[in-house]
Amino acid sequence: MRLGIPRDVSLDGHLVDGVLGYLTLCTGIAFAVLVVILTVTLLFHRARAGRQANYTHGDGLRARLLTFGVGLTLFVAIDVTLAVRASHHLRERFWNYPDDDPNALRVEVTARQWAWTFRTAGPDGRFGTPDDVVTLGELHVPVGRPIYLKLRSKDVVHSFYLPTFRTKIDAIPGSTTRLWFQAQETGRSEIGCAQHCGVSHYKMRGWLYAAPEDEYRAWLARAEIDSRLRYDPNDVVAQQEGWDW
Amino acid sequence: MKRIFSTDHKVIGRQFLFLGLTFLAVGGVMAMLIRWQLARPGQPVPIVGRLLFSGAGGVISPAAYTSLFTMHGTIMIFFAVTPILIGGFGNFCVPLLIGARDMAFPRLNMLSFWTMAAATATLTSSFFVPLGTAQAGWTAYATLSTAIGAPGAGQTLWTVAIYLNGVSTVMGAVNYITTVVRLRAPGMTWFRLPLTVWGFFLTSILNALFVPVIAAAMVLLFFDRVFGTQFFIAGTTMRAGGDPILYQHMFWLFGHPEVYILILPAWGIVSDLLAFFARKPAFGYRVTVWALIGVVILSCVVYGHHMFTTGMSPLLGESFMLLTMIISVPTSLLFLNWLGTLWRGALRMTTPMLFCVGLVFTFGIGGLTGLYLADIVADQYLHDTYFVVGHFHLIMAAALLMASFAAVYFWFPKMFGRMMSERLGKLHFWPTFLALNVVFGGQLLIGWAGMQRRLYDPSAYDFLKHLLPWNQWISRAAYVLGLAQLVFVWNFFVSLRRGKPAPANPWEVGTLEWTLPSPPPHHNFDTIPTVVRGPHELGSPDARARGKDWLGQDEVLS
Repeated sequence: MRLGIPRDVSLDGHLVDGVLGYLTLCTGIAFAVLVVILTVTLLFHRARAGRQANYTHGDGLRARLLTFGVGLTLFVAIDVTLAVRASHHLRERFWNYPDDDPNALRVEVTARQWAWTFRTAGPDGRFGTPDDVVTLGELHVPVGRPIYLKLRSKDVVHSFYLPTFRTKIDAIPGSTTRLWFQAQETGRSEIGCAQHCGVSHYKMRGWLYAAPEDEYRAWLARAEIDSRLRYDPNDVVAQQEGWDW
Repeated sequence: MKRIFSTDHKVIGRQFLFLGLTFLAVGGVMAMLIRWQLARPGQPVPIVGRLLFSGAGGVISPAAYTSLFTMHGTIMIFFAVTPILIGGFGNFCVPLLIGARDMAFPRLNMLSFWTMAAATATLTSSFFVPLGTAQAGWTAYATLSTAIGAPGAGQTLWTVAIYLNGVSTVMGAVNYITTVVRLRAPGMTWFRLPLTVWGFFLTSILNALFVPVIAAAMVLLFFDRVFGTQFFIAGTTMRAGGDPILYQHMFWLFGHPEVYILILPAWGIVSDLLAFFARKPAFGYRVTVWALIGVVILSCVVYGHHMFTTGMSPLLGESFMLLTMIISVPTSLLFLNWLGTLWRGALRMTTPMLFCVGLVFTFGIGGLTGLYLADIVADQYLHDTYFVVGHFHLIMAAALLMASFAAVYFWFPKMFGRMMSERLGKLHFWPTFLALNVVFGGQLLIGWAGMQRRLYDPSAYDFLKHLLPWNQWISRAAYVLGLAQLVFVWNFFVSLRRGKPAPANPWEVGTLEWTLPSPPPHHNFDTIPTVVRGPHELGSPDARARGKDWLGQDEVLS
């Protein structure tokens, strides 16, 4: 009966785990206090012969100071702290996309019912050309480099979900969304679809393979040869995928 | 005929209540079928399987499962909780509690019910068309809900049903608002209103403002499906210029207020009932009222947190995160006032009181887990997982069910003139309370472990395979929850026929409905009462001087 958050294998996943930990600490304390107060009233403040309820409307200055004081303290200690922390993480990391990073691996993701296609530019560095490396359901990435995805969908809304990287982003027909992350460990991670996308939504999975840089390059060289062999200039549907970065 | 097409708010309230309870049972059975599939993926459903899923030998197919979770959500939100709380108790309580003879527009009220009935008929018919009923989830995101993802007529009928449901709700909302503004008895000032009435009043304002938004979305979706327009359609396969995200904006602009539309009456009822059974005035009445108003205002500007993963602009995301978190200020005031009401009271642990305390507990977990989802950093992991499912079920299912049951047990004597069994009521409460927490708490945990929503078979994923035993325990608790409701059904119907005749004021409280006989006559009040005090004058020295611990709102002290 194992239960718990999947192991984090990403560069920034620990930031998410840190926020989750803080949330659990704060809400845990708040909930414990709630349970204690409830229990005390339920055990000791019950009606019994001779007991009179304390007649108060709770609208005196002291009562108001108490409720507002506790309410605002909770707000500052939990909400404001979280918002500031989240905002910081978002600006510094999650929403700080590696647009200018020449080292980043750029990948175009096309979602469809019910599969993911991944496309990396070939040696020419441009998307939508015959040397693009296109894989179905498998995303190969090197460890230690930012991976920068841009996502589109061909039919309905999907959501690219990487639990071991603590992240997800929707793929939406008609617009392009983006996501970046970095693998810190080699190995296989499961890719899921998080948005209901039809009857076979549960089958829309894939794998992310993170390999050391040299292994990744070796794989890429083989994949390029395959891609060139498979390229069909008359395949109009396939040409629809792959767009200028 | 006169009884069926009645304009009496008490009769219409009962009609809504029975309609809502019927659909609550249907939605509940669907929930248990969903739980069966999650606990025993691909195995034939016992007992009812051969009947419901005859084509597949009693096994729930992926298509049937998709329909099940779509209709479970649709039915529970639009056709169970809405009619029970707003249509049922709103109708029954609002005129009685403010000292009015009926609603402001009795015929509009009747029309509201029959429009709701038409909506339920439309929804039911969608099960019997080729390709079956809707399968796009209760949120019906475009483009899955357009012809691209849902070609059958079922989804179109679903769209019409939600539209009609909205028409009914708006008619009710206009009526409640007018009734509370215009028909309060002399002396019933705004700050002497029972908090229940405040709940229904504020809910009606949100309904009047935001239900038209989903109605508009349904019209556009209907056009996309039937007339080939492309408001919500875009994509590389379909060359079209619409925007699926536009649908999400419209849906959640309604959808988030909807959460508060449903919870505000519950908060109002619980705030009153806690005071009644603690035999104390409601703690910080005015703060509670202003907190409710604050929630209403904030609820209009937070819906973006449902769309954090759509790649919205960072500035927009941060704004919605902060606005969402501000909601915790009025809700924590509300909570503290509830605890203040209970503190140093003389608690009478009746069945309605048990359900109210149960609500405070489950709403505590539900509210606190909302913080996780308001935080964008945490949300990018938890979004669309069972953590979300657990969170909103703790509020929309657990808290609302508890409030509904508290209301049924509390007002049943006034509605039907008979008492419900307290013993059976407690037998209903304990398994319900425990099972609710196991089911929805369990959902939080498997969501924490990463399990997405709406998966036909989670074990298709390697990283979710080990969760099967957890899903099985959640399912067992769900069956217990379902079975426990049989106690309620039994109690309800036996009490209806053979319950102890109810006195005028069985709970010894002071709001106006308890000055009337049970059940009240058609015209409610022989003479319209004059209100002289607030709703919770319990345990006051004046009352004690008269040898009791409560004072009626219209009781003149001589």
